Amino acid sequence: MDLACEKTWVWIPLPQKFQSPIILKLILGFCWYLLHLMVNLRHMGSSVNDLLFCYIISMGLLLKHQNLRLDKLNSLAVVVDSEEAKNTTKIKQLLCWLSSIGIKYVILYDMHGVLKQTIGTDLESLTNTSMTTCSVVDAKMATSLFHFEKMAIEIISLSDGKEGVAKAASFLYSEHMKDDSEICYRSEPDFTESDVANALKATGSAGAEPDLLLVYGPARCHLGFPAWRLRYTEIVHMGRLRSMKFAAIVKTMHDFSKKHQNYGK
Amino acid sequence: MLSSLHLNPTLNYATLNYSATLLPLRGSRRRTRRNGANESLVSTAHPARQYPSLSASLAPAREVEERKEEALLPPHLRPESLPRHVAVIMDGNSRWAKARGLPSSAGHEAGYRTLKKMVELSCQWGIRALTVFAFSSENWTRPKMEVDFLMTLFENVLKEGLGEFVREGIRICIIGDSSELPQSLQKLAKEVVDKTKNNTQIDLIVAISYSGRKEITQACQNIAQKVKDGLLEPEDITESHIEEELETNCIPEFPNPDLLIRTSGELRLSNFLLWQSAYTELFFTNTYWPDFGEADYIEALTSFQNRQRRFGQRIN
Repeated sequence: MDLACEKTWVWIPLPQKFQSPIILKLILGFCWYLLHLMVNLRHMGSSVNDLLFCYIISMGLLLKHQNLRLDKLNSLAVVVDSEEAKNTTKIKQLLCWLSSIGIKYVILYDMHGVLKQTIGTDLESLTNTSMTTCSVVDAKMATSLFHFEKMAIEIISLSDGKEGVAKAASFLYSEHMKDDSEICYRSEPDFTESDVANALKATGSAGAEPDLLLVYGPARCHLGFPAWRLRYTEIVHMGRLRSMKFAAIVKTMHDFSKKHQNYGK
Repeated sequence: MLSSLHLNPTLNYATLNYSATLLPLRGSRRRTRRNGANESLVSTAHPARQYPSLSASLAPAREVEERKEEALLPPHLRPESLPRHVAVIMDGNSRWAKARGLPSSAGHEAGYRTLKKMVELSCQWGIRALTVFAFSSENWTRPKMEVDFLMTLFENVLKEGLGEFVREGIRICIIGDSSELPQSLQKLAKEVVDKTKNNTQIDLIVAISYSGRKEITQACQNIAQKVKDGLLEPEDITESHIEEELETNCIPEFPNPDLLIRTSGELRLSNFLLWQSAYTELFFTNTYWPDFGEADYIEALTSFQNRQRRFGQRIN
């Protein structure tokens, strides 16, 4: 062996599987790639099918999608990637679509509070006159709850989610100590889910539990939407905000109306 | 670094072209660590030393083990892009059984076999933690016969599986409200957790009588107790304190799942890992849990991998 060469040849015994004939290896490799191709074609076909379906829905050719039954949809949440949330034109277009469908309550969420700064400010100026008609109990909620035409819009961010629970924990402790001193003995804290729910309300982090949550963004996750409110929420990833389609929203609403939840029973 | 592989039919050995500076040779131990920022495996090999010949039987044991793991991984799955922690909502057992004209108990038994297979695959492919939703707090409202069957099934699984858990290096953690479980199951669960606590191959977290909201409530309670004990000030409570008190902290290295799979076509979390799933990639499949096989698992992992590759960084 020439050790001065940059590359050195080394003899290493093959693992057992490499000892099968080369032709068998080639056949297996071909079968694997054929399977791969079939799966890819299937996915491609599925995407084309979805596009066609969206086109048909938007042309109003499917009767069942024209009259949506939204009695099961009391509130709808929309999670938007914070980068994509800067596209206020698209957000407003989305709100218009949702209003036209007949959604009554929308919760807009992005992690970093971009929507609060952009859409929140715009909506505040548009709906100041209608805010007096809002029947909000919590003053804190009033700053992020707007009435837009016949639709209520709540705008939240990460500070209303995990940070909200931390504030609720602090509130629970204060309340427990208040009770503790009244009872005059040192009992251990014993909280229930109702206690936490009330604490979230008291600290301004409570809100409606959305029945359906639409995720717009590259990642298929809810990006820290308030955990307490997500218990039985249907979560649908809609893709990028810039590629949003009215027909896709209609289809999602229609599919949701067909859902049956048994709540674990 | 292996740049090419040639088959030598005469000698039946593979010859490896490599650069002398990169191939770890006999006497040097190749270590790999996960880079926290981009989760890629970073090689920290010692500077290579020249040796006249090397055979696989003399290669460091760890490198042989890594080659075995990579050889077991399906070809297009890259080890550096796999999720470290996978969570599964094992839904659809009863519907699977009903579709076949079988009682729901048959569905749950089939579901258990699927779980065994998934644990085996996860071990083979280097998944470090697997959290499975076996029984929710809402499931207690199901018919008594079904609930009793499930409790018996859990007991049998733990009893019969203990030897295998120890052999295969599976560390078991049980999360959920254990006070609602039968006494015998509580005792057995404690025993299994205790006997497997030193295992390192994979962490298997089984959620029984679990509720995400109850978990958050318990965390708030624990924090209140810590404040009472003077360990924490009420104004200093932050979300990280809540996270430390969650039950999934039994695996402190990665308590939050990277990928969550739900079978049977439902698109919700159903009170499972509500807090921990903030940045978890969600994968929903129409397949019923007993039918969820290797191909479905590969599809879920491929979907996760593609998202990671496309967007360059981990969500967590």
